[in-house]
Amino acid sequence: MRDNVAAPARHTTNKSSIWFTQSLRLLHHELRRGELTIVFLAIVLAVATVFSLTGFSGQIKQAILTNSTNTIAADRVLSGSSEVSDEILSQSQKTNLTLARKIETETMVFADDNMLISELSAVSNTYPLRGELLINTSLAQETPVVANAPDEGSAWVERSVLSRLGVEIGDLIEIGVAKFTIAGVIADFPDKSYRMLIAGPKIFININDIAKTELIKPGSRMWYMYLFAGEQEDIEAFEQWLEPKVNESQNWYDAKRAQNRLSTTLDTAERFLSLASMLGIVLAAVAVAVASRRYGQRHQSVVAVFRALGATISHVRKLYCLHWGLLSLISISVGLILGYLLMTLGAMAIKNYLSLAQTNISVIPFITAILTGLLCAIAFAIHPIKSLVHTTPLSVIRGFEHQSVKRFGWHQVPPLLALLALLLLFSRDVVMSVSLLGGGLIVSFLLLLFGRGIMSAGRTVGTKAGQSWHLAIANLKRRASENSVQLVSFTIAIKLLLLITVMKSSIIDEWQAQFPADTPNQYLINIAPHQVDDLKRFTETHEIPNRGFFSVYRGRLSAINGEKTISREELEKRAASKEHEQADKPKGRRGMGRELGLTWLNELPQENKIIEGSWWQPDDLTPQVSVESGVAERLDIKLGDELTFRIGAQEITVPVTSLRKLNWKTRQLNFIMIFNEPVLKNFPATAISAWNVPEQKKQDFYRLLAEHPTVTFIDFENIMKQLRNMIEQVSIAIELILILVVLAGSLVLVAQVQASMEERERELAILRTLGAKGRLLRNSVLFEFVALGAIAGLMASIGMEIGVYVLQTQTFEMQGSFHFSYWLVGILSGAGFVGLIGMLSCWRLLNMTSVTLIRRTM
Amino acid sequence: MTKSVQLEDKTLELLQPIELDVNSGESLAIVGSSGSGKTTLLSILAGLDLPSSGEVYLKSHALHQLNEEQRSQVRANHVGFIFQQFLLVNSLTALENVMLPAELANIDDAEARGKELLEQVGLSDRLAHYPSQLSGGEQQRVAIARAFITKPDILFADEPTGNLDKKTGLNVTDLLFQLNKKLGTTLVLVTHDPKLAARCQRQVEMDGGKLIQISEDSELVEQDPSAISQVG
Repeated sequence: MRDNVAAPARHTTNKSSIWFTQSLRLLHHELRRGELTIVFLAIVLAVATVFSLTGFSGQIKQAILTNSTNTIAADRVLSGSSEVSDEILSQSQKTNLTLARKIETETMVFADDNMLISELSAVSNTYPLRGELLINTSLAQETPVVANAPDEGSAWVERSVLSRLGVEIGDLIEIGVAKFTIAGVIADFPDKSYRMLIAGPKIFININDIAKTELIKPGSRMWYMYLFAGEQEDIEAFEQWLEPKVNESQNWYDAKRAQNRLSTTLDTAERFLSLASMLGIVLAAVAVAVASRRYGQRHQSVVAVFRALGATISHVRKLYCLHWGLLSLISISVGLILGYLLMTLGAMAIKNYLSLAQTNISVIPFITAILTGLLCAIAFAIHPIKSLVHTTPLSVIRGFEHQSVKRFGWHQVPPLLALLALLLLFSRDVVMSVSLLGGGLIVSFLLLLFGRGIMSAGRTVGTKAGQSWHLAIANLKRRASENSVQLVSFTIAIKLLLLITVMKSSIIDEWQAQFPADTPNQYLINIAPHQVDDLKRFTETHEIPNRGFFSVYRGRLSAINGEKTISREELEKRAASKEHEQADKPKGRRGMGRELGLTWLNELPQENKIIEGSWWQPDDLTPQVSVESGVAERLDIKLGDELTFRIGAQEITVPVTSLRKLNWKTRQLNFIMIFNEPVLKNFPATAISAWNVPEQKKQDFYRLLAEHPTVTFIDFENIMKQLRNMIEQVSIAIELILILVVLAGSLVLVAQVQASMEERERELAILRTLGAKGRLLRNSVLFEFVALGAIAGLMASIGMEIGVYVLQTQTFEMQGSFHFSYWLVGILSGAGFVGLIGMLSCWRLLNMTSVTLIRRTM
Repeated sequence: MTKSVQLEDKTLELLQPIELDVNSGESLAIVGSSGSGKTTLLSILAGLDLPSSGEVYLKSHALHQLNEEQRSQVRANHVGFIFQQFLLVNSLTALENVMLPAELANIDDAEARGKELLEQVGLSDRLAHYPSQLSGGEQQRVAIARAFITKPDILFADEPTGNLDKKTGLNVTDLLFQLNKKLGTTLVLVTHDPKLAARCQRQVEMDGGKLIQISEDSELVEQDPSAISQVG
C-alpha cells in the first residue's frame, strides 16, 4: 500500500491561490445548502428597502419638478382675488412681455339632470405661455393637438366630466347661466396643481365667455391670474418695477417659488414615510448583526479545523474576507434588483395619481443602497469575523465554548456608529437621526423593562398553567435580552399597523358621529341677493335645518391702530434680515395674512359667547366690530383698538367693541370678524348658508341647485369621502413600508432562533433523555413564541391606544375612546404570527428523533 | 516540560514535569482517566498548545520557540489529526474534506490523492456526500483519509473510536492501524480503551498530570531510534 501512496510533492509557489479556491468552494456549498440564507436575506432586505424608498421618493420629486417652467405655464405669475390695475398691464406691454389671462373658480356644471362640481379655468387666447395645452377633439383621436383657448361658446373638459355628466363631445353643458358645447377632451395642460383635495375635474372656457356665465359677483370666490413671459432681462426689469406694487392680497411668483411650496409639502410627507422606513432599515441592520454573529459562531469549528490542519491566521483571514465580501456583494446585487422591483410596484400603485414614466432613476438610490449594504456588511460583521479569524486551533480539542458576548463594550461602537451613519445616509437629517437612535435606545430599554415585567408575571402564571407553558415561559425569561430585540420590533410594527387600521376604520366615523343630527352637510356659497328668498323658501317648505343666510364680504385686515399689518412669514423674514439690535422692533404688525369672509349681524349667533365688551343694539348706528377671542389674542387686539379693513378698493376703520368665543367644533358657519349693519350694508355682497339636507331630500335639493346654476355648493360628505380616499392612499404607502418592517422583524426572529439553535438542541436532548414527550416539547416551543408575540401585541395595543388618544384629543379635538376590540386583534395577530414564524424556524429541530438529537449534542 | 494555568487564587498544575520521547514510526498510546492530562499532553505534542516551561521538539522544530503561525506551518507539513468528534467541515463534501490538509500543505494532485485514499477507506462511492449524509463510522473513515493525505510524519488521534459503536469502532481501528503500518507514520493515540491501547507498540499512562510508563515494545522501537517527538 505504501507504494501506492507516493511521497507528496510540496510546492510553495501557488499557495497564494488556495485560500481563494477554498473560499469559493465554501461559499458555493454553503449558499446551496442554505446555511447563509439568513445573513443573505438580511443584507438583501436592508439594501432593497433603502433602494426602493430612496428611488421612489426621488422619482416622485422628479416627476413633479421636471419641466419646471411648464408648471406655471409662464415665466412669472401675478395672482389674486381681484383684477389688477391697467397700469400693470400696460407696463408689461412696455417691457415687451407677452401676457395671458386666466380666471379660476369652483363651480357647478349641469347637463340635463346631472350635475358636477368642477374647477373652471377661463383662459385668454395666448394661454399657455410656456408648456403645451393638449386637446383631443374626438375620443378616437390618438395624438392630441396643441391648443390655446377654446373658441367662444365651447368648452374643453377632462375625460371624467363626460362619464360623470353622461355627455359626449358635441353635447351642451351649462356653466352658470350660459351654455357651452363640449369641443374637446383635455389630454394635458402645463400648470396642473398637485393639491390633494381638488374640487372636481378641470374645464377650460374662453375668458371672453366668463361674463356670460354670471358667475362673477361681488364677494364670489374668483382667482385672477396674470401670466407673463419674455426675455430674461425684460422679465427682471418688469419684476423690479412691479414688486413694490404687489399688495398683500396678491401673489407674485416664478416656477421655483411655486415649486418650493410643493417640495416643502413633499418633504413633510417624505419625512413621515422616512420614519417608518428607517425603522425597517434599523431592523434589517439588527438582522444583519444577529445573523453575522451567528455566521461567526457557525464557522468557528471550520476555522478551528483549518487552523489545526495547518492553515495560518493570514490564510484564514483572506479566506473569510473573500467569503464574506462575495456574500455581501451577491446580497447587495440581489437587494438592488429586489429594490428596483419594489420601486416599480410602488410606481404602478400610484400611476393613477402621478405618472413616473418620464422620470429617470438617479444614481443616488444606487449609491445610498450600496453604501447601506456595505455598512451593514462591514460594521456589523467586523467583530464576529475578527473573533472568528482568531479562533484558536486548540478548540478542536477543548471544544467550542461560545463565549457569552459582553452586552456593553467597545465592539458595539462600530455597529452603533454604522446605524447612525445609515440613518444619516437615508434621512440626511442629523437631528432626526440622532433623536431616532437615542429615542430608539430609550424606547427599547423601556419596552425591554416592561416586557420583562410581563414575562416575569407570566412565569408565575405559567407555573400554574401546565408543564408546556411553564417550560415556555421559563425559556422566554431566560432568553429575555435576545427576545427584547424581537419584542421591540414586533411591538412597533404591530402598533403602527393597528394605528393605521383604527385610523382608517374608526376615528373618522367616531369624529362624524359626535356631531348633532342637524349639523350641516351642505354649504352653499356665491348666492346672489335675488336668489336668497327662493332658497329660503325651499328650506322652509322642505324643513331643512339651517341657521339662516349670511351676507359675506371679502376683505382684508390692513391695519391695527393705524399700524400696517404684514403676514407672519414676512414679519419673520424682516426680523431675520435686520441687524441684531433692530431685530426686536420690525416695522409692521402681525396680520391675518389672508382674505377674510366678513359679515354683519344684529343678533349674536348661537354658540358664540361674549367674553369681553358687549354686543351692539340693533339700532346702534356707530360702526363697530366683534373679534373672535383666539385671533384677538394672537394678533394682540384689545377692546377699543381701531381695525382697518380693505374691502375692494375701499378702506374702513372700525373700533373693537367686543371679543367673542366661538365653538369651532359645531361645523356651523363661523365668522372671525362680525360688524354691525351700518358698516357693511353699502358694500356689494353674496350670501352663504349651511344646511343639513337629509338623504331623501337630496333630489329636490339638486333640482333647486339646477334652477340656480350660479350657486356653488360644497358637499361636506364628499370632502369626507376625499379625505378617506387620501388616508387610504397614504396608508397603502405606509402599509408597504410596514410589510418591509414586519419582514425585517421576522428575519430578526429567525436569525435569533438560528443563533440559539445549538442551545435549544442541547435542552431538547436533555429533556428527551429525561423522558419528556414530543408533544410537551413541541408545545413548549410553540407557547414560547406565542407568548412572545402576545406580549408584543399587548404592548403594541397599549401604544396604539395612546397614539389614538393623542390623535383624537389633539388633532380631531374630540373625546378619547377605547378600542378594546383592536387590542384583541393586536394580541392575537402578534401571537399567531410570531408563533408561526417561531415554529417554522424550529420545525427541523422539533421533528428530530430522540436518537438523532442525543447523538448530535452529546 | 510542565503545563499550568493561573486561576484567580491559585495555580493549577495540569502537567507535572514530564519527559517523553516518541520515536519515528512508533505507535504510542496515552491512556488515563478523565482529567488526568492526556489531552493536554496531546495538544502540546501536536503544537496546538505551548508548555508553561520546558521544551518540545517535533522533528527538528523547537515548538516551544515557535509562534502560532510558525507552529501552523509545522502542523501543515508534518502532522495529521483524527478527533473523537470527527471534526469534518460540514459544508464540504467528503472528498473536499480529505483534500483540505493537502491543499494547505500545498501538495500537488490533492484531488487524485483524496480519491485514492477514500477508495482505500472504502468510500469511493461517497465522494460528493456531505458529512451529514454519512454515518458516524463513515465520517471517521473520511477523517482517517484526511489524516493520511499529506503522509504526515506523525499522526495524533484523540479517542478515535469514542463516538462509535463497538463494531464500527473496531473496523475504524483496523483501518487506522493498517494505513499507519503501510505508510510508516508515527502514531500518538489518546484513549480510554485498553484494547485499543494494547494495539500500540508502547503505552504510557497519565495520572493527575504525571506520566507513568506502562509497556514498551523495544524490538519495534529499535527499528528507528531517531526521536520524532520529544518533550522534556
